[in-house]
Amino acid sequence: MDIVFSGASVSFAGRPALHPLSLRLCERRIGIIGLNGSGKTTFARLINGLLRPTAGQVTVGGLDTVKDEAAVRGRAGFIFQNPQHQMILPVLSEDIAFGLKNRGLSKEEISARTEAVLERFRITHLAGRRIHELSGGETQLAAIASVLVTGPDVLILDEPTNQLDLKNRRLIEKTIADLPEQAIVITHDLPLLDGFDRVLLFHEGRLEADASPSEAVRAYRGIVGC
Amino acid sequence: MLTGLDIAGDTPLHRASARLKLILLFLAAVALFLVENPWALAAAAIIAAGLYASTGIARSEAFRRVRFVLFTVLLVAVANYVFHSLAEALAVLFRLGALVLLAAAVTATTTISAFMDEITRLLRPLERFGFVRAADVSLAVGLVLRFVPEILARYGDIREAHRARGLRVRPLGVLVPLIILTLKDADTIAMAIDARGFRRQ
Ligand SMILES: Nc1ncnc2c1ncn2[C@@H]1O[C@H](COP(=O)(O)OP(=O)(O)O)[C@@H](O)[C@H]1O
Ligand SMILES: [Mg+2]
Repeated sequence: MDIVFSGASVSFAGRPALHPLSLRLCERRIGIIGLNGSGKTTFARLINGLLRPTAGQVTVGGLDTVKDEAAVRGRAGFIFQNPQHQMILPVLSEDIAFGLKNRGLSKEEISARTEAVLERFRITHLAGRRIHELSGGETQLAAIASVLVTGPDVLILDEPTNQLDLKNRRLIEKTIADLPEQAIVITHDLPLLDGFDRVLLFHEGRLEADASPSEAVRAYRGIVGC
Repeated sequence: MLTGLDIAGDTPLHRASARLKLILLFLAAVALFLVENPWALAAAAIIAAGLYASTGIARSEAFRRVRFVLFTVLLVAVANYVFHSLAEALAVLFRLGALVLLAAAVTATTTISAFMDEITRLLRPLERFGFVRAADVSLAVGLVLRFVPEILARYGDIREAHRARGLRVRPLGVLVPLIILTLKDADTIAMAIDARGFRRQ
């Protein structure tokens, strides 16, 4: 799906967090890298209208993120940096089903979809578990399942492998690689970017590089000086 | 850590529908306020305690949940003893005590989503008049039930961190970081609710 930034910028209390930016994203796998505070999350939040541009415009599949906010939210799913916070109900299957309510689906349809998405991510055995008892990797899978069950076209993940051990990191990397959906991934986990179509490097609120993974990572190392 | 106040189990109270439990709780409250005899109320309190215990909740957890409210009830009873009579004080103690224990038993055996469904259904008629959005109210109640235990756990964490740094644990010194952290989370949670389209109709 086409995501278009037209001179979009963000300031918080007059301080620019993202300088005016124009670009078009349509690749299947897009990575976002940069130091802490460089504007990655701000950029990502613009895409599904969680944040409104201070100036300029962002469209997703031709829909304006401000004017068509609800429709955009339905198309662009978001996985937060702390996925615990996006799980509202304490039990996994309940939480997934809850995301499907208010959408005019029947009870049977809701439970069928819930089961299907649990199966898709091979977490059927976690259905009755409490979100708080899940491991980091399991929580991340659960969050991805709870968002994809509603059928968005693009998934935005904010540092999905950040707090994971090596094994779970590999699991989530593979899960992301296998997603048929378009994915935009913010990460400090550079090996995750292997095979990505395009990587954006942010630095102090500006787009510093927009290139292949290897080139963008080289520019990133240039900034850090190692 | 505990999230949500319901505990897993398959006791008769767990199997009863949320609606039935809420109706019975309401009727019990009315009955408790109609009865004045302290001994009858004492019997009710004992039955309520038995019901609470029957939910399979661990004893320490059961006590932890109700101790604050029960302590308040005790203060009210003492005030009644001072200003009125012993009989009145005992009636207040057992009446409110029974009610607290019954409510705790219902809370321990009802899942948040069951509560939310029930509240939504209850408010639907009001929605027709445009007073409220039933789904919003039930979401708010669900959020409170879901995050209150988490906030309490965090309170414990902050106190611990104070102790670890050798700081004296003063209520204010704990409350300020607690409020700041909670507001920060609330912000993210509010965003997550929007992001997941929970409020879309
Ligand atoms: N809600 C906010 N209010 C004020 N400043 C913010 C807010 N969110 C982000 N910022 C600031 O904007 C800048 C970019 O932040 P962010 O996009 O979160 O960076 P990153 O995700 O790359 O670590 C930072 O300087 C941060 O302090
Ligand atoms: Mg960030």
